[in-house]
Formats: sequence, structure tokens, C-alpha cells
Amino acid sequence: MTSRRDHDDPIRGIAQRTTRRDLLGLTALGILAAGTKPARAAEGQLVYASHISLAPAWFDPAETSGIVTPFMLLYALHDGLVKPMPGNPAEPCLAESYTASADGLAHSFVLRAGATFHNGAPVTAEDVKFSFERYRGNAARFIKEKVAAVETPDPRRVVFRLHQPWPDFLIYYSSVTGAGWIVPKKYVESVGEDGFKKEPIGAGPYKFVSFTPGVELVMEAFEGYWRKAPTVKRLVWKVIPDETTRLAALKRGEVDLAYSIRGELAEELRRTPGLELKPVVINSPFWIYFADQWDPKSPWHDARVRKAVTLALDREGINQALTLGHSLLTGSIVPKDYEFYWRPPKIPHDPAAARRLLAEAGFRGGFDAGEYYCDSSYANLAEAALNSLEDVGIRVKLRPIERAAFNTGYAEKKYRNIIQGGSGAFGNAATRMETFVVKGGAYVYGSYPDIDDLFAQQAVETDRAKRAPILHRMQQLVHERTVYAPLWQLAFLNGQGPRVDESAFGLIGGHPYSAPYEDVRLKGGA
Amino acid sequence: MKQYILRRVGYSLLSMFLLSLVIFLFVRVTGDPVSLLVEPGASPEDIENMRRQFGLDQPLWVQYWHFMASLATGDLGQSFYYRTPVLELYFQRLPNSLLLASVAMTLSLLIGIPSGILAAVRVDGFWDSAGKIFALLGLSLPSFWVGLVLILFFSVYLGWLPSSGSGTPLHLLMPAFTLGWYFAAAHMRLTRSSMLEVLGSEYIKLARLKGLPEALVIGKHALKNALIPVITLAGINLVVMINVAVVVETVFAWPGIGRLLYEGITFRDFPIVQGVVVIGGAMIVLVNLFVDILYALIDPRIRLES
Repeated sequence: MTSRRDHDDPIRGIAQRTTRRDLLGLTALGILAAGTKPARAAEGQLVYASHISLAPAWFDPAETSGIVTPFMLLYALHDGLVKPMPGNPAEPCLAESYTASADGLAHSFVLRAGATFHNGAPVTAEDVKFSFERYRGNAARFIKEKVAAVETPDPRRVVFRLHQPWPDFLIYYSSVTGAGWIVPKKYVESVGEDGFKKEPIGAGPYKFVSFTPGVELVMEAFEGYWRKAPTVKRLVWKVIPDETTRLAALKRGEVDLAYSIRGELAEELRRTPGLELKPVVINSPFWIYFADQWDPKSPWHDARVRKAVTLALDREGINQALTLGHSLLTGSIVPKDYEFYWRPPKIPHDPAAARRLLAEAGFRGGFDAGEYYCDSSYANLAEAALNSLEDVGIRVKLRPIERAAFNTGYAEKKYRNIIQGGSGAFGNAATRMETFVVKGGAYVYGSYPDIDDLFAQQAVETDRAKRAPILHRMQQLVHERTVYAPLWQLAFLNGQGPRVDESAFGLIGGHPYSAPYEDVRLKGGA
Repeated sequence: MKQYILRRVGYSLLSMFLLSLVIFLFVRVTGDPVSLLVEPGASPEDIENMRRQFGLDQPLWVQYWHFMASLATGDLGQSFYYRTPVLELYFQRLPNSLLLASVAMTLSLLIGIPSGILAAVRVDGFWDSAGKIFALLGLSLPSFWVGLVLILFFSVYLGWLPSSGSGTPLHLLMPAFTLGWYFAAAHMRLTRSSMLEVLGSEYIKLARLKGLPEALVIGKHALKNALIPVITLAGINLVVMINVAVVVETVFAWPGIGRLLYEGITFRDFPIVQGVVVIGGAMIVLVNLFVDILYALIDPRIRLES
């Protein structure tokens, strides 16, 4: 970055806006750059430093709210019939096999022989039915409305009968919702809902031991786990909200794995002998949305102006500066591991071409483009993007808005001009198109009739081979018309300590946390 | 006297009502908590379901009525984030906050009072200047910076103390000092000014004229009176330390009420923020009520004036 010309440097603006808080942050960095005296870690125990307070609601798959965070704990305590696993976004787990009928109306699962809950009770078809009916989290009504009946012809067989063919049943059942994660019916009924959250029992690789809100969560290995017995005997999650303190704890050996170490602290982590930076690209692309592209009076109505923006963005430079080059430049608003993802051609950084396009569109020398709205948590990304735009003469005013207000304003379509968005919502290319591209979508400010028609076609197409090209075509049109100017697919940066042999970061595509836990290993086999 | 107490109790209840109203409205001005509990891209139906689940779909006055009705029965509601009763969360964290606050308060008094006395009896001397610098630093250095510097030296570099968490006396030292320094500075300044005022009074002059030893004049006659405002302030500060040591508890991952409040603010968890503020406010109101009644008992002029 230092060899770049000044006007090409996306972090120039950041440097110019250095605040007292930044200086204090740098002091903290200096602190951590000092020598380290390690603490002794317990044998057979692995400690995570969690960036976020753990909520008891996350012990219960019925409560998953549509964010990925609960899955940090669900992967340890519970198991699903089918769930995302290394190399397979829908791998049969508690189910031995899965089949869909030719008409797409029946989805059958055969349960794995010998799979048990932590209390020794076998996982049965009744538990599967109970877990589905009990589910009340994200998209609960949506999925239940589509299911006509759940049949349990025998203790190892479950059949979901749908009202009409629904090609996305499995993705919703296995990962968009927590409906396919199985809890023990008899136990839940005997201890009640609150009792279950206090002493949860599941069929996952780790058993619940204790939980102190805001302090720590302890689990121990479940030797009877069907896939394999975990080698690490005890897992502890300590909540350390401050990023600098998390790194200090990792340096001292008080914790073995630390979540979310960003920016300069990540740089420091990378430099520290014995520690390892573990970036994970998560299913969360970020983009610039041209909210006024359907308004003929707006400059963004001209596809050449939108194209100029996407060519002006120095994605490589921004990636290096902010996530040490670990984010993925996919050029799409659909996460690359999602089903039906279409890979667009690489978008070059070509400021000269961008200026040419602007001139052709009648904006020689650029123009004052108004406001650039973003979630203030990602204002650093916006500042870097804004510098790229200024380099080609597109002058915008940054409007960082606090996260909750931003999300509400975005969904209520209150913003104009440019919006920097992002989403880690579960699903596939179709669900992403539905929410962000197609008419009526929650975050759609306008749409293109031909893309809407393609969406309607694929929604009733049960043949995967025929559905895929339709969804690919939709994504291709979004790319060609520059409906969005994609920025990156974000990398979540984590730290690994010297005792860890396998952290399991990044084993499951797009999953931000360490999983599957039975694959986690300490050095020396423990 | 009865009338005086009744009036004070009335004022206290009015203060609590106003506090509950202000905090109820204030947290709602900060934004919609549901948008923080779902991913951007969540369906409007899911967002609406969650809003309904938390009672946020109801008119404001209905929400406030429910809040007050629950409060009257000692129920502070259920946390949106933890899905646990706020009171249960509060009492889980209270012992940690009491421990941290009492150690920090002890440190602040042990440092603040003697240095304040020294500064007052050696006005404009070395100890006075040193005390002023100590107070200036204590009040102006941000506690998260002090905390991080302590972690540097004692945890990362020297390896003597754990960087964060709780459980042993060693875990307590750095957060207690960080929290205590700020309040030590405040206590030092108040002790100094209060001592200077008392030392200039007639009865101290008389004591000196009578030839009492200086140690006795300062230790017995001056300090006793000078400490009254310091102790009053310390009482209020103790409540503050228990409830709002937000930064210190966050930097050191100390599982106290301050961090609970921080989590409540971060996640727009209205019941937590309301609960912590109402309990903290109630503590302050009760301390003040107690002090008012005590003053009236001690000083007949107060109750006669009323």
C-alpha cells in the first residue's frame, strides 16, 4: 500500500480522520506489541474467547433468530438431521439418508441407527416431529405453512409432506432455520421450556456442564457421539468483550482461540510468534446499492455511471488495508458457497475506464453525487470506498448511521442515492434474489420486470438442473446492469494460540466459528 | 417530623416515577431492538413476529402501563437477548459488582482521604502539588486506557496478573485500581477542600490557641467534620460503582452490573437498561431519603423549618 500513489490509497481518508480514540487504540496496540509472559493452560481443555455475550436462548434450536451466532453453540450441543458440514452444505447427520419424491411433495429421512442424546435416550422419529412442531424461531410460520403433515411411520423414519412442491425445503429445514436440529421430546416435556434452557440436552458432540451468564460456558465431550468422540475433553467459552483484552488473553495463553481480532490488532497477532491468524470468509457479502437507479432524473439511472462506480472501486487495496487481504472479492451479492451461485467475471480496478464512462454519460470531471448511507459499524469500509469514488470525481457525503436505525431505514426504503449494505442471512441464491433484487423484496427499491419473471419461473421449478440456469441468468443480469456494485465477501479474523493443532475455523464453508467441534484438536492429541 | 418524612417519601416516589418515565422513553428513542436481533435481509414477517413477542407492537402508553404494572410487583421484565428475567440477571451479577465496588471504594478512600488531608495541611507545598497531579490524572485519564496500560505491564509483560475475568483475588486487582483511581481523585479533592474550610474555622483556631497538639487538632477536631461531605459522596459513589462501572467491567471482562448495562445498551435490550437504571436510581433515592431523615433527626432546625 505504501508504494501506491497517494490518490490510489484507500486508507488515506482514514488517516486524515484519525481521532483521539484512534491514538488511544494505537497505544493499546503498542501495549500488545510488548513481550509476553504466558499463563499455564489446563490439560485437555480448550478455551475460546468469545467476542459476544452468550445467551441461553442459543442452547435451544427452537429459538434461532436468523443470525448465525446461535450456531456457534448449536454445533456443540445439538445435531441436525441434515446440516452444513465440511465440503457439503447439506450432509446427512442424525439422518442416515434423505430422499425427495419425484413430485417434490414428500421428503423422507431415515434416522441413523445408534444415535443418542446425552442422556442415553435414542434419537427417534417422534423427537424429529416434536422438534419441528416446537420450532418457533426465524421463518417458523413460513416453513410450517408449507408442510402439510409430518409422518412417523416407524421410530427411524420421518416423512414431511408438503402442500405443493417447494425446491428449497431442505435448505430451510437444515440451515435457514433451526427446525431440523433435534431435541429430546421426553426430556423437554419433563423439565419444561425454562428447565431446558438451564440444563440443555442434545445429540451433539459436547454435553452441557455449566453456564454463568456473561462469564463462561463449560461443556465436556460426549463420548457416545455418532460421528466420533471429540478428542478435546472440555471446552470453555469465556466472554471477553474488548478486542484488545482478547488479544492480551491469547498472548498470555489464558485462551486458545480468540474470535474477532481486526485491523491493526490482527496485524499484531500475525506478527506474534506462536500465534496464528485464522481468517474465515463468511457468508456475508457487502455492496453498494444504487437506490435511485429507477428514477430517470437520477444520474444513477444511467448504467454507465453505475458501471463507473464498480470500475472505480479499488477492492484489492481496500481488502489489504482493512482485512489484510483475507476478504473475498467475489463481485456478487450472493455468497459464493450458496446453492445456485453464479460466478461473475472479475471486476477490474480501472479508474481511467471509469472516468471515460462518466464523460460519455455527460459527467466529465465527475459530479456531486449526494449521500452515501452505511451502517456505522462498517464506516471504515465506506470511507475506503468513498476515496475510490472521489478519485474518479464522484463526490459523495458519508452518512454513517447506527446499526439498528440503518437496518430499519434501509428496509423502510427511506434512503436515497447510494446505500452500502450487506447481509449474512441464510439461504441460497434464490432467497438472496428474493430479498434484494426481485419486486416486493424487503430491501428492494425498484426492480426489472425480466428479472422478476425469471424469479417466478424458478420458484415453481422442482428440477434442479432446470432451475440452476434460471437463477444463474438472474445473477448475470444483475451483474450486467450493475444493479449493485459488490464490494467483498467479508473475512472474519480470529486468533489461534500455540496449543491448538486444529481450530476447525473455515472447515464449514461460510461458517464464521470453529466447527464441527469434534474435529477440534490440541497438539499432542488431546 | 411525620409530615417531613411523608413529604420526603413523596418526593422520592415522584423522582422514581419521573426516572421510570424518562428511561422508558429514552431507550425507545435509541431505535428498534429487533433490527439488531435479526440479520439484514430477514423477512418482514419474522421481524414483526419478534416485535410482537417482545410487546413492541403495542402503543407506547400500553407498553409503559405494562412496565409500571410489572414494576409494582417487583418484576422488571424479561431480557430480549438473554430471555431471562432481568432481576435474575441483576442478582447474578450483583455479588461481582459489590465485590469490585467495595474493593475499589476501599482503595479510593485509603488513597483519597490521606492524600487530601496531606494536601490541605501542606497547601501549595510538594504534597499539595503531587496530590493535584494525582487527582488531575485520575479524573482525566480514560479508564479504558488506564486498564489497557495495566494489562500491558502486569499481565502481558510481567505476567503477574490475569488479563481479564474473575474468580481469584488476583483478578480483582487491576479493575479495582482502575475504578478506584478515578474516585480516589474525587475523594482527594473533596477532602482537601473540606479540610481547608474546616481548618480556617473559629473552633480550630481556638483549639490551636488552647495549645492542642497539631495532630490532635487535625485528626480529631478537623477531620471529623471535614469527612461528613466525603462520606456522603462516597455513599453515592458506591452506588455508582456498583451500577455503572461500564468501561472498567468491559475492558477487564468483569461480570458485573456495569457490563450487564453495556450489553443492554449494545443490544437495545430495553428491559435490562430500564431495570439497571431503575434499581440504580432507587438505590440513590433511598440513600438520599435516608440521609434526609438522618439530617432531620440530628438537626432540629431542619424538621422545625419543614
